[in-house]
Amino acid sequence: MKILVVEDDEGTAEFVVAGLVARGHEPTVARDGREGYERARADRFDVVVLDRMLPKLDGLAVVALLRTDGVSTPVLFLTNLSGIDDRVDGLEAGGDDYLVKPFSFEELMARLTALARRPTLGAPRTVLDCGDLEMDLVARTVRRGGEAIDLQPREFRLLEFLMRAEGRVVTRKMLLEQVWEYNFDPKTNIVETHISRLRGKIDRGEASLIQTVRGAGYVLRVPGSSS
Amino acid sequence: MFCVFRVRLLRTASFRLAALYLALFTASALALGAFVYLSVRREILTDFDERIVEETDALKSDFADGGRERLAAIIEARGKGGAGFSYGLLSREGGLIAGDLRVPSAGVAGWTDAQEADSEEPAESTAEVIRTLVTPLADGSSLLVGDERRRPDEILAGVLTAFAWAVAATLALGTIGGLWLSAHFLERIDSMRQTARRLMDGDWTRRIPLSRTDDDLTALARTFNRLFDRIEKLLQANRQVSADIAHDLRKPLAGVLRRLEAARDDPSAAASREAIGAAIGDVEGVLDTFNALLRIGQVEAGARRAAFRPLDLADVAREVAETFAPAAEDEGKALVQRLDVPLPIAGDRELLVQMIANLLDNALRHTAAGVRIEVGGEKTAGGIALTVSDNGAGVAPGDRAAIFQRFYRGGESRRSPGTGLGLALVAAIADLHGLDCRASDNRPGLRVTLATAAETE
Repeated sequence: MKILVVEDDEGTAEFVVAGLVARGHEPTVARDGREGYERARADRFDVVVLDRMLPKLDGLAVVALLRTDGVSTPVLFLTNLSGIDDRVDGLEAGGDDYLVKPFSFEELMARLTALARRPTLGAPRTVLDCGDLEMDLVARTVRRGGEAIDLQPREFRLLEFLMRAEGRVVTRKMLLEQVWEYNFDPKTNIVETHISRLRGKIDRGEASLIQTVRGAGYVLRVPGSSS
Repeated sequence: MFCVFRVRLLRTASFRLAALYLALFTASALALGAFVYLSVRREILTDFDERIVEETDALKSDFADGGRERLAAIIEARGKGGAGFSYGLLSREGGLIAGDLRVPSAGVAGWTDAQEADSEEPAESTAEVIRTLVTPLADGSSLLVGDERRRPDEILAGVLTAFAWAVAATLALGTIGGLWLSAHFLERIDSMRQTARRLMDGDWTRRIPLSRTDDDLTALARTFNRLFDRIEKLLQANRQVSADIAHDLRKPLAGVLRRLEAARDDPSAAASREAIGAAIGDVEGVLDTFNALLRIGQVEAGARRAAFRPLDLADVAREVAETFAPAAEDEGKALVQRLDVPLPIAGDRELLVQMIANLLDNALRHTAAGVRIEVGGEKTAGGIALTVSDNGAGVAPGDRAAIFQRFYRGGESRRSPGTGLGLALVAAIADLHGLDCRASDNRPGLRVTLATAAETE
């Protein structure tokens, strides 16, 4: 992936760039808001990592300018601000995701992958599938090998999110934010317990479609296949 | 010292007010006095003249009846009788026919000043002046009727004296009263100031002594004392929190240090990996604490109120309880709902979700397998109430109020991981939404009630 990293803090920029290079991506670094804006406009990137507080041009302003210019490259905000309103401000300005420092590289990578693969065009899908698992988004039904599986609404949403991200790692935090709309991390393992119930319902004793990625999160894929 | 006090006394607001009031009062009293004096004076003088005119008219009718001889006889008789008037009957040439009054210019009708016939010299003092009405008679003689000018003047002088005394007494009493009032107020204001100074110097146990009289100054002192109570509590809490933060962060940071040192001294990859993993865990704990503190700070700042929407707290609670139910089940605990009535509230959904989630986190964490945790809601006289109760070990009565304080970790929980901030955040969110947090005995177990706070003054 071609990734633009707009970050004035050298430590963070190095950490992000080193991780991206190690995973075979092509990062470009901009040191301030103006440079970031110009690079994002001049070149096509798969995703932009944008610090919120930047010299010369504030992160919010960069996104707002890019969107008025018609640049729709997905933007992930990095921020020190953990304020409840800050996330809303970031997303309203045109950002696509929001990550509070400090963060683990796995968390960042999972989110960047999700953003870069976000479908932008085409008719919305009404059926999702993975191997013999099928989800009908209109009828709200799930089948595995043709057999209907009864899911509760929250379990349905959880599975839908995993299926849309098929083959990609989603973190616990992403699930909390997207499936439960929790922007905090409860001490109780609600994600783990829901995942384990969901596995129990869809796997039916076969090899699990939902795999745990140690230290990162979960991935839904047909067992034996690799991404 | 006394001198300084006296100077300050004169400069006090209450004394100035008293002085101003006194000046206004005196001025109005003087104006009123002048008006009364002038009215009385005119009345008395008119009356005085009327009496002389009446006497003159009586004598004129006597003259008409009996001529000059009869008039002379009557004048002689009256003059000796001491009816109060003085008389004179002058011939056309000015000779005194009867009585003892004479005027310098006889024959001129009207009012004039006369004097007794036996006085050698012209009158010098007004006391001896006799106000006289000169009336020409038909035969060319003149009738003089007069009375001592001194009579009305004495009355008026008496009025003036009485009035002057009254004003003097008013001034004296007013000044003394003003001084006393100011000294009294000054003393009490001084006591307030001294108390405030002691407080600023750090003696937060001081309070303004309350006077026995229940006036506005006492009310002010009471208000100040309540303010001082609040400040003292806040200061204590602040000191406590600073100490707690330091204490709570020192432990994990010391752990990080110990592990990193161990990793440095044991270069084997496996040991390093393990040490680093543990150190990361410790640092994450520190960040959790900071995040929780920041969150509490944001909630307490109250900025989210602008985003409040009307919603059903029972609805929110139901959703959170459903999310937590599988986790409870896995721990061998029952999480049941008793949310039959809507609980309308104006609030921030995200915060309310976190509030209930933290309560359930707490209930799950501090109970053993087999307990039953209930989320209940009901309407109360004052509004709504949400309860989260369990039938676990509960909290000692003395500790119940403390569980909502930052960094409180009681009993067994002291050894388990956690920031000790979960319930403090619950209290902060509840407070933001006008809810009171109360912990009580669930017989057995802990019951936390969030109820609409009673209206405060």
